[in-house]
Amino acid sequence: MYHRPASLDEALALKHHLGASASFLAGGTDLVVGVRKGKAPPSALIDLSLIAALTELRHEGDRLRIGAMCTHARLERSGVAALAAACETVGGPQIRNLGTVGGQLGTASPAGDVSVALIALDAEVELASVRGVRTFALADLFVGPGRTVMAPDELVLAVTVPTSRRSAFYKIGKRDAVAISLVMAAASVGSDGRVAIGLGCVAPVPMRARRAEAHLAAHGLSAATLDAAADLVAAEVSPISDHRGGADYRRAMAATLTRRLLSGLC
Amino acid sequence: MSDHDPTGSPLRALRFTLNGDAAAVDVDPRETLFDTLRERLRLTGTKGACLEGECGSCTVLLDGAPVTACLVTSLQVEGRAVVTVEGLAQGAQLSALQAAFVRAGAVQCGYCTPGLLVAATALLRDNPSPNVDDVRRGLAGNLCRCTGYTKIIDAVLDAARTTQDESGVGERAAGARA
Repeated sequence: MYHRPASLDEALALKHHLGASASFLAGGTDLVVGVRKGKAPPSALIDLSLIAALTELRHEGDRLRIGAMCTHARLERSGVAALAAACETVGGPQIRNLGTVGGQLGTASPAGDVSVALIALDAEVELASVRGVRTFALADLFVGPGRTVMAPDELVLAVTVPTSRRSAFYKIGKRDAVAISLVMAAASVGSDGRVAIGLGCVAPVPMRARRAEAHLAAHGLSAATLDAAADLVAAEVSPISDHRGGADYRRAMAATLTRRLLSGLC
Repeated sequence: MSDHDPTGSPLRALRFTLNGDAAAVDVDPRETLFDTLRERLRLTGTKGACLEGECGSCTVLLDGAPVTACLVTSLQVEGRAVVTVEGLAQGAQLSALQAAFVRAGAVQCGYCTPGLLVAATALLRDNPSPNVDDVRRGLAGNLCRCTGYTKIIDAVLDAARTTQDESGVGERAAGARA
């Protein structure tokens, strides 16, 4: 069955009624491939493309509010450095015209480029259901590969990011385009000097480098603290080895990318 | 086509604009635009190689934006505009880009060519005077196993020069971007 609700309320009621076996359909770049590769197809699709509220991209005070159906292509031009850089590296142009931020967050891949940029920007996520909206730190959304704290009838409504933080994103992949990341890192610095660091492909979830952040909060971000922060990153990641790369390599590159990002933000 | 797919989903009516004309076709709710174009509408110019969005062979324009048709659920294009490689030429008149591909010898086995032509049509519409890096970035979602890309890039740059002289051809092919 296929549904194309015109309003958010209708979409949320449908999902509540149809249950976990039904799936929201955003850009389809993950869902459609999964079904073609033999994953059990959803019992129903709830196409979100008509819901205008989900495609909004607007400034609210000192934050940018990004509707869940905003595509990577749109966010390449968002003006938020780490987010724009992450979106530019996703897939190729065709994928970026389809894939959405909400789809990426709901998919909860440890290799989600945009997820890493967003957690490094101290993003908040808004989840909606028939029970209302709840808002919390995006880094707390993810609990494991492909798993989130979302209830079966919840939908990613939007994410918000501060626009005043200076930020950057780096990614290592086998080639420039259409390659799943091997390691990526993003960092941002607020006007208060507090640093946030996000890392991808080095843990079961996109992770914040809390120990490195705490060290920088205590000792400040400067050329003198870069080495210690990078060493702490190497110590707190828990990468696996797979056909794309070894755990040791990922650990070393997480530290290297972090040092490079931070030196650019000093 | 049967009235039902093997899982028993009834077909649904789909109406959209295809290469400038109104199109109406009944589709399975879970089939992709790639399958609808080739299997139901017999527009076999759109090619499929990987069928997971990585090779770009099935690139079409959806409301002017290049997308991989293998990742689009057909019912998502209801009311929207799709342009396939069949929509690039004006009758027997090749677009400037298509003519440039022929001149440059940018086609070998030909399997990636329709996707490249569609992606490059959008690229030239958005950036009529691209440099080599612009072309590489714009075509990064299209794989070619034969040419090594050099002649493809040459062709796109040549088309850009030609189109500057005969303005309008590429724009007509690409349609308006939503």
